[in-house]
Order: sequence, then structure tokens, then C-alpha cells
Amino acid sequence: MQFKCTETHEKFREEIRAFAEAEIKPYAFQWDRENHFPGDVVRRMADNGWMGLPYPVKYGGAGKDILTYSIAVEELARVDAGTAVILSAHVSLGSWPIYAFGTEEQKMKYLVPLAKGEKLGAFGLTESNAGSDAGGTETTAVRDGDFYILNGEKIFITNGGEADTYVIFAVTTPGIGTKGISAFIVEKGWEGFTFGDHYDKMGIRSSATAQLIFQDVKVPKENLLGKEGAGFRIAMATLDGGRIGIASQALGIAQGAYESCMNYAKERVQFHKPIAFQQAIGFKIADMATRIRAARMLVYSAAELKQNGEPYGMEAAMAKQYASDAAVRISEEAVQIYGGNGYLRGMDVERMYRDAKITQIYEGTNEIMRVVISGHLLGKPPKKESAGAVQAESAGITGPRKKQIFKKGTAQERVDALVENLKADGYDFTVGIPADTPISKAERVVSAGRGIGDKGNMKLIRDLAEAAGAAIGSSRPVAETLQYVPMDRYVGMSGQKFRGNLYIACGISGAVQHLKGIIDASTIVAVNNNANAPIFKNCDYGIVGDVKEILPLLAKALDTGAKKPAPPMKRIRRAEPKKEKPSYKMMVCDGCGYEYDPVKGDPSADIAPGTPFEKLPDDWVCPECAEPKAHFQEA
Amino acid sequence: MHIVRKVTDNLYWIGANDHRLTLFENIHPIPEGVSYNSYLLLDKKAVMFDTVDWDGCRQMMENLEFVLDGRELDTVVVNHWEPDHAASLQVVLNRYPKAEIISTEKGFMLMKQFGFHADGHKTITVKEGDKTCFGEHTVTYLEAPMVHWPEAMVTLDLTNGALFSADAFGSFKALDGKLFNDEVDYDRDWIDSNRRYLTNIVGKYGPHIRKLLNKAAPVLDQIKFICPLHGLVWRNNLDYLLDKYTHWASYEPEVKGVMIVYASMYGNTEQAAQAIAAKLAEEGIRNVSLFDVSSTHVSYLIAEVFRVSHVILASCTYNLGIFPPMLNFLEDMKALNVQNRVFALIENGSWAIRSGDLMYRFLDEEMKTITVLNERVTVASHLGENQEEDLGLLADAVADSLRG
Repeated sequence: MQFKCTETHEKFREEIRAFAEAEIKPYAFQWDRENHFPGDVVRRMADNGWMGLPYPVKYGGAGKDILTYSIAVEELARVDAGTAVILSAHVSLGSWPIYAFGTEEQKMKYLVPLAKGEKLGAFGLTESNAGSDAGGTETTAVRDGDFYILNGEKIFITNGGEADTYVIFAVTTPGIGTKGISAFIVEKGWEGFTFGDHYDKMGIRSSATAQLIFQDVKVPKENLLGKEGAGFRIAMATLDGGRIGIASQALGIAQGAYESCMNYAKERVQFHKPIAFQQAIGFKIADMATRIRAARMLVYSAAELKQNGEPYGMEAAMAKQYASDAAVRISEEAVQIYGGNGYLRGMDVERMYRDAKITQIYEGTNEIMRVVISGHLLGKPPKKESAGAVQAESAGITGPRKKQIFKKGTAQERVDALVENLKADGYDFTVGIPADTPISKAERVVSAGRGIGDKGNMKLIRDLAEAAGAAIGSSRPVAETLQYVPMDRYVGMSGQKFRGNLYIACGISGAVQHLKGIIDASTIVAVNNNANAPIFKNCDYGIVGDVKEILPLLAKALDTGAKKPAPPMKRIRRAEPKKEKPSYKMMVCDGCGYEYDPVKGDPSADIAPGTPFEKLPDDWVCPECAEPKAHFQEA
Repeated sequence: MHIVRKVTDNLYWIGANDHRLTLFENIHPIPEGVSYNSYLLLDKKAVMFDTVDWDGCRQMMENLEFVLDGRELDTVVVNHWEPDHAASLQVVLNRYPKAEIISTEKGFMLMKQFGFHADGHKTITVKEGDKTCFGEHTVTYLEAPMVHWPEAMVTLDLTNGALFSADAFGSFKALDGKLFNDEVDYDRDWIDSNRRYLTNIVGKYGPHIRKLLNKAAPVLDQIKFICPLHGLVWRNNLDYLLDKYTHWASYEPEVKGVMIVYASMYGNTEQAAQAIAAKLAEEGIRNVSLFDVSSTHVSYLIAEVFRVSHVILASCTYNLGIFPPMLNFLEDMKALNVQNRVFALIENGSWAIRSGDLMYRFLDEEMKTITVLNERVTVASHLGENQEEDLGLLADAVADSLRG
């Protein structure tokens, strides 16, 4: 055993490194600065046969091994981590589940063009409330004849918007946790499948990351991947393999940063000699090289295990965790070695430092990696797994809201219903405040989100703000990325907090960080064309519809001519919805009056929290008086 | 001297009244006393239904011997073994050595636990639906677990329609000569005692009362007399009583109304409670009551909270917590399963005003289906003139919710 790559592998490395040096490296800074997705480079990689490296030739792949693929990602990341993750997400996440779990038909239809690089793949698991814990998945797929109707949102999806083929995870059986999740192959362009924010990321900026929005998307039943309910298993298996890709990416970043700073250290002279020969710097380089070698061994070994069909989940997690930590550490030290120069935009180590961070976060945070590794080593904890079916209901992020969504009738009728309700709540639209009132002091705000579209549509916002007597605000991307309004006008956890009465969110989907900025609002109104947008779960009134249609109608309905100056703000009452009985059953004992609460379970009998009464074992008895299960009745 | 009243042919009330007991169950004040009801049926067999508290034993024995008039007592049906009804059983058994005892299995278990000596007496264990014939009269038994103890049952005489309902349909307040519901102005003089008894004694067991009411529903037209172990015998207007019970057992308010309960150390929180009461009256809300939690026994507060739909709690902060008597009221509401109510909060404090948040958390997390209005009046020591708007908002919120 020599612990080194074969000649074939090294030859492949030379080939792809030459490509990366020539076609990617010179542009990496520009792509980073401009958030540019290098579509033409991806096409050239496809021409080279690199988009399906580990897949069999009969499925359009190159028939190479996992290590070759790993080297490819590493070499791309060595010069540009963004390009590397395009390949990794495409091969490991977008294509692999179809290869591993797809039917022959699905493989022919979807895997072949993916492996040939004619199509780009992506993987949609993460949601606002389902990050490390996929059990929180809220996207639903409801069977309707020959179709599943998909509704929901996915966030932080690599290759989102650029990819043609998506593997999407959705709940087909609600209430049973991860066992109710199924996987589907979804094509870009299907009706109701749209893309939300393109994220303005800290690093890997040449890769595309977007929000996926599904609104009544009809997915043919033959696009169910694997069986119903197998989604969680498919997702976990896919991520196991994906981690080899991310580990390779991290390894590449580390390698690139190491080479760059070593060259610099050999050139930069201080105290009459290159700083590399100052022991402080020499030791850093020694540590870097050691870490890189250790990371490489871990990554390649995991790739080899996978190639040979041996269990590799734990080893892939170890490789991902170690290599990503190494990448962050090494790129940080690389910046340090560069000194002040390394702190400047345009220096590759500066970009690599930012790029490296994500490798500790995505495809399973490094904290989750440790959960995976310790889980392999220790097995399941002795406590029984939660039955997971019963959970106490929780309010939305903005607290209890009316959630009255106007769906019926024409746009005009819906707008009229909204205005009627606002007036009944006590809003006086004959008075108003200037549009430039600071958000934190404003009694009313009309706020624009990405859904507003072109900059020209901001006129709709200005008109509505004037008619409603409100100040103008926005979501973060509208201020930061689109720059339609100044940065001090965006509302959110990191921006301004709205503490007034009326907040009208136009084309705002309702990211958590935005919603946290409007918790104190008395009334939240949402206008958005996506009925599944989280804003609707956090508003008092909502209209599902196009802002371009609704806003002018709303402005007209509120327009009372010139506004009188508003009197000192009087807080409008925030009506709280009546507290409802929980949806789960509480059962009460005939023998003593003890109540079985499924949210709490029965710790004395090792009954996990979340266990519904019906799922209690037949021999379970009242913990207080030992009455049998049959002698309970609904409370 | 006997004091006996005839319920119907061959059926006699042979119980006793008690005005000397100050605290029922040694917890609930009973300024108007209480009755312990026992009944005697004279058929081929002489059958006694339950006995009385120890305090009423002598009166009951005089009554029993008078009605039996030298006959042997053949049977004692014990529907409920709580000592305020069963305590005198031993004396009865000693006096009538041939008497047999009918009860449930759990009832006989309690008999042993409480130390009754029934050696030589035949014990007959009955369960749901069993029937016993005493000659002309046949009775059937319905199990009534947790109304208000697990062993409880009720006995229905299928011949004359008398339902021996144990603690169900009972009430505080001594009979003082009366026996039937139509001998008093119930809605004026009795319903408050009845409510305070039911909600405090069996309030927690609403689901079990509902179960019993459902069981009784098919045989309702056969019931001519409801003979509880405390309070009056019902022989008409049963719908009135059943309607009240349905509300209490399902935790639905009887009326739209507001009770204001305040906890005040020096009168400042009391002033806020008075101020909101005045605002509500100005808003046109008529059904408003106000209580000082420190000087009102919690059993009265519980009765009122079962009656009305809305509650305003005004509490000072004490040791960084809720004023203890107010906390006791909250704990009692939780224990008695109070739900489906709307609450509003007034808080007071002089350096760290905590009571509002703590009361909110208790209502929201510890209790079931309680809506707490967002509007809250926060008083720093003493209500300021500038807080009229706050009071107005709270009053508006309560009024809107009340009308809505």
C-alpha cells in the first residue's frame, strides 16, 4: 500500500489543473466580484466529459471512479471554489440520487443528459425550518390522480435557477416526521416552479444559490424517486456522498491558499530574508502542509471506500469535517502571511478565506458531522426515538396573527375587503406621515420585496405609500442587492425594526430575518403572488396576487387626496386570534383523573414525548393509579 | 327526634343538616351550611341509599329507626365512599347486623382502606348495568368514575324514577326544612351555592361529568327525581339543571361577563382594578364583578370564573413573582381545568414589574385554551393620569372581545 494516486489519476489531475489555470483562474476575481455564474466554463467542462465523471458510460458518464471526481472538484476549488461547488452539487447531489435510486426509465430520461453535462442538476432539501433537522420539512406533495401537487419553498439551493433538473424533498404523509418525506424529480420550467432570491453570499460567489418556490406544481407520479416515504433515506445517502465532494472542495481551497501564500512568503523580504525563512512563518507553512496531507488522506480514502462499495458514511463525514476545518484555518493563516496585502479585495487568499467558511456549514454543518460520526461509533442513544407525531403548535415568527387571506372574488373585491378590515381596525387614511420618516419612528410602512420586480415598479410602492400615508421600507435584498432604496430603509433583524401600527409587505416572501424586524407591528398586510410564502403565515391580512395588479388598486382605495399630518401615534390594537384547542387528543384516567399529554409522553414508562395516546403500548397503565389504557377517555 | 321528609311513595329523605362545620373538606367555607342526604326505600326489603357525615350520624339514626319502625334494615347501597357520606355506615352496620352492602369493586376496596368492619355482612359487588330487585322496585347501577371519586356509581330506581346521583347534582347550603327544588327560589337563593360546590369539588372532572350525562341521556325520560347527596331533590325543571351542568362540564361560560380580580398590597393595584371597572361600565358592559383576591376565598373566585366569559387579573409583583394569593388563584384554576376563557392583564411593580409576564406565561402555558388579550396595563407603583389611554385600550379590547 503506497497511499498515493495512480498514474492515471495524476494524469487526469494535470489535465484538469491546466484547464483550471487557463480557463478559470484569470477570471475568478471578476466572477467573485460580479456574482457571475460561469455557464460557458460549465459547458466546456461538459465537452471534456467531466460533468458525469463517476457514472457509467451507458448512462452518459465518463465511467471513471469516485477518486477521479474528487480530484476534479479539488483542482477546480484550488483556483475557484465557486466553480468547484457547481460540479459537486451537480454530480453528487443532483445526479447521484437518480443514479442510485432511480428507475431505468428515470435514469435514461434524466441521468443521461445530466451525466453528459447537457443538463445541470441540483438538490432541494433545506427549508427555513428544516436545516440540520430534515424532520421540519414543510414542503408538501399531495397525490392527485396521476400527479403529485407540490407546494412549498426551498432555500439556499446550490445551482438553483441555473439547473434544469432538481431532486426535491417533500412531505407526502404529514405528521409522522422524516418517515413521511418523499423525493421527486422536478424540471425547471414547470408551471408554478419559480425562483426567489439569488443570495448575495459571502463567498463561493461564482456559484448560483437561490430559493426555489413551488406553487401547485404538478409532478407526474412517475417522477417519484424511490418509494413514498423513502425521501429521508435518499437524502441522507446522497449527503453522505456529497460530503466527499465538499471535502474535496475544501481540500482544493486549502491547497490553493497554501500554494499562494507560500509563493508570497518566499518572495516577501523582511529583516533581510524572505519571510518564509522566519521561523514564525515557516512553522505556519509546515502546519498547513501537514493538515493538507492529513485532509487529502481522509478525502481520498473515503472516495476509495465508496468506489469499492464499502460503508463510507462516517469516513466521508470525517473527511468533510476535517478538510473544511483545515481549509478555514489554512486560508486564514494564508491571509495572515500576506499581511495587509492579504486583506485587500482581489487577492486570491482573501477570496479563499471567504470561500472556505461555507465548507464548514453546508451539506451538513461540522456540528452535524460530529453527530454523524459519533452516531456511527456509539449507535443510537438508549432513550427510545421520539414517535414524533404530536407537537405543541407554535405561533409564527411574528407571533399570533389573524392570517385572514382574501382569496375570493376579483382583485378589486379582495382589495376592498382588505381596506374594509383595516378601517374597522381603526386605521384613518386621511392622515399620513412623510415617506422618508425613519422606519423605527414610522407609524405605517409600505415595504417592497424582490417580488416588486423591475426598478420601475417602485413607483407602485411610492404611490401606495403616499395613498396609505406611510413611509417606504424594503426587504434586505431590495436595498442591498437591487439598491432600489437606501440601506437604512430595509427592515429586518439586521436592519431597521418596525414598531408602528401598519406594515404592508409587497412582494416580500418573509425570510426569518425580515419577519424578526416586524414582530412588534400591530397589523401586517401581505401582498404576494406566492400563496406559500412564509409572509402569509405571519400576517394579519393577505392578498395572493400580483403586486402590479394589487398595489394600484390598493393605492386607489386608500387615496384620500393630500394627507393631513398624522397626530401623535396611537397604538392600534393588535387583535389576537382566539386560542384554539390543540389538534391532538388529551386523555383522562377514570381511576384518578390523571391526564395523558402526548406532548410530554410518560417518562416513568419510557414513553417518548410526542407519542399519541393511540400509539401507547397495550400494556401501558396510568402512571398514577395503574388503571389500564382502556379506562381512559377523551378529556 | 326524627326529621324526615317523604320524597315519594315509600321513599324517604333521612339525612341531616350541618351549620356548625365552617370549612367543607376543611377547605371551602360554607356560611350557609350543608346537608348530607341519605334515603330509605321501604319495599319488600328496606334499602338505604348512602349514609351521612359523622356529624349527622345521630340525626340520621333517629330518622332511620323512625321510618323503619321496628323493621330490619336489609340493604345499604353505597354509591360513594367519601367520609362525608359513608362515615356513619359503621353505626348502621352495628345496629343492623343482617344488612347486606351493595357497592362497586373499588368501593369495597375503599371500605377496607377506611377501616370499616363489615364482618358478617354480605357484600354484593355490582358493575355497570347490573340490576337488583327489592320487591316492587328494581334498580340499576351506572358507574360514575371521578364524579367525584373513582369508585362512585349512581343508582336508578327503574320503578319510581329516582336517581340516587351521589355527588353529582349536589350543592352547598343546608336544606333547613326544604327538600325539593320547587320549594325554593333556586335561581335567586341556590344556584351560586350549587355552582360553587360543583366547580370547586368536581370542576376538574368535566370529562367524567359529560360521560355520566351522556350515559344518562337515553334514560332521561325515566328520571323523575334526582336525589343527590348534598342539597335539594329535583323533581321538575331538570332542563335548567342539566343546562348548567353542561356548561360547567364543558368549561363553557354561562354568561358573557367580566370578573376583575385584583391583588393589591397598598391599594394602588386596587385602584387600577377600580379604574378599569369604571371604564367597562362606561363602555356599557353591565355584567362586571370585582374581587379582592386576598380577602375572597378562592372557591368563590372559581365559581365566578366558571360563570363568566372574561377575566381581568390585576396583580402587583411580589418577591419578583406573582402576589401569592393571585398565584394560588391561578393554580386553582389550573387544577380545576378552567379553559375557554379570555383574560386580560394589569400588572404593577415598583422596581421590576414582572407579574404581567408571569401571569401571561401561566395562562398561556400552564392552562388550556386561554386567550390572553394583547393589551396590558402596566402600572409603575401608581396609575398615572397619562395612562387613561392604556386603560381605554384595555377596556376596548375587553368590550370588543365580549361582543365579538
